[in-house]
Amino acid sequence: MFIATRDLTFAQGRFLMMGSVVALVAFLVITLSGLSAGLVKANISGLMALPATHIAFEGTDHPGYRNTMVERYMWEGWAGQEGVLHAEPLGHTVFNARTVDGKPLEIALWGIGPGSVIDPVVTEGEGLGGIENGVVITRDLLDDSLKIGDTIFLDRVLTELKVVGILHESRNIGHLPVIFAPLRKWQEATYGPPGGPPPGEKLPDIVFDFVSVVLLQLEEGVDIAALDEENETTTFDRLGFFAASTGYKSEVQSVQMIQSLLFVISAVVIGAFFSIWTIQRTKEIGLIKALGASNAYVLKDALGQAILIIVLGTLAGLAGMFWFYTAVKDTELPFMLQSSTITNSIIMLLVAGTFGAVMSIRRITQVDPIIALGRDR
Amino acid sequence: MSLKVEFVSLVFGDGDEQVKALDNVSMDLQPGQLMAVLGPSGAGKSSLLAVCGGLQTPTSGKIWIGDTDITGASKSALTRIRQQQIGFVFQQSNLLSSLTAIDQLLLLIHMRGKRPEKADRERATKLLDEVGMSHRLNRRPSELSGGERQRVGIARAFMTNPTLLLVDEPTSMLDQNRGKQIVELLVRECHEYNVATLMVTHDQGILQTADRVVDISDGNLIERT
Repeated sequence: MFIATRDLTFAQGRFLMMGSVVALVAFLVITLSGLSAGLVKANISGLMALPATHIAFEGTDHPGYRNTMVERYMWEGWAGQEGVLHAEPLGHTVFNARTVDGKPLEIALWGIGPGSVIDPVVTEGEGLGGIENGVVITRDLLDDSLKIGDTIFLDRVLTELKVVGILHESRNIGHLPVIFAPLRKWQEATYGPPGGPPPGEKLPDIVFDFVSVVLLQLEEGVDIAALDEENETTTFDRLGFFAASTGYKSEVQSVQMIQSLLFVISAVVIGAFFSIWTIQRTKEIGLIKALGASNAYVLKDALGQAILIIVLGTLAGLAGMFWFYTAVKDTELPFMLQSSTITNSIIMLLVAGTFGAVMSIRRITQVDPIIALGRDR
Repeated sequence: MSLKVEFVSLVFGDGDEQVKALDNVSMDLQPGQLMAVLGPSGAGKSSLLAVCGGLQTPTSGKIWIGDTDITGASKSALTRIRQQQIGFVFQQSNLLSSLTAIDQLLLLIHMRGKRPEKADRERATKLLDEVGMSHRLNRRPSELSGGERQRVGIARAFMTNPTLLLVDEPTSMLDQNRGKQIVELLVRECHEYNVATLMVTHDQGILQTADRVVDISDGNLIERT
């Protein structure tokens, strides 16, 4: 890179400008990837945190969390199988609710067995099971000024829940914050009469024989299809049970389309820059060839310079992203900083940018050295 | 023989629009000989340089540089020949804007796939000293006058010990005084390094310094005796 390095030193302003454009594109790509991932996570952070390899739904064609009902014999059927480390019933219902002050909430109530493997470890207060209507809320509900000891009223079913614990993390499903309740309380609210049974009466046992899904921890090699058939369930792996969340698939597809477009734009923008730069250098390239440089020599020099700018610009964009993350991490803006997301974005950006540069720089091979004589033929 | 041109024609276009830039031209040059080619614009001077420098393939005829027939050579072979056997001095010096004077010369070494070594640096410094540029080694073209740039161009042309030097109107962008100095410098270097030199020029003042003078008109060469 004899000429390339000297060029960079000589025309610092020009290359700084080009590098800035690359940095801005990189910042855009990486930050949007983080925002996209954050948006997707906001949909399914509750599911992502579940210690499950699989989830079994009611055995229908396209089960979702809102239209699945699993009976006791199904989850007990899973629990007794070889290779099934855990089979925990989980209830999911979306409720409109209110705080004591009348502030409206829309929440996803999850019923889980206190002390089970899916019982969350609270950051503050107590866990489930201390009182029959004690619930654990998650970080996103703290913005609604909820605190330990507060009461939450579930509309329509006239059920009161008491906040006994707080998990200082986001747990969402379908962009709704999750509230963890004891499984029996969830079953009462979901299947029982509004306000509970009449005084002096108990709810029939059948109310407690239904849940929404079964959370599974399976060893390798379990014949899932056979167990699904036996227990009349439809089981999904992690990607599958993420996709079962409302809107997840379309969000992911939208996000993937945005990311794909961004990479195409990156290639085009960077390619356009290097195209213009190559055109401006046409006379010099002709001169270098007239002096005896091969196409390979000139290409190597130019491409080396382009890659250097792309790499440095990308690193600058990455630094910008970290600054952005620092600025937004304690706000409501969904942003996920994940090493795999960042690494993939950087690799794709380097590939797209290099492709763009190669497509523009290859015109170097067409420059006729005769132009060094100042006459075009 | 450093350069031998045998019955070379260069024709552009066809039919009624055919243009004969060179018409059955023959000539030769010995090592250390300086031949001046004079002629008006459009006479074929640049075409002669272009075919001798492997930048243009003649329509017919043959050209040898040293023992190498360059006429039917591939593009990559011509590149190698230019790299190793031909030096160019251009009309507008044609220096690379980002390279210092000494780097303009060292580039020719780097092009050959070699990292410039101490010996290469010493040779470059010596050549620049010979052309009166030893005090401007680390200046870039934007920091040099027209005459200084041309001197660097001349030093660059000799860096690789060429068999043939092709010079394209070296004084056209310079005033008379500086032009005279450049021509004297070229003549001295060409004799010093025993390089066959073909110089295209408008400048009649060259007549006293050239070993041979040819006139070119409508693609035809006529040597003056």
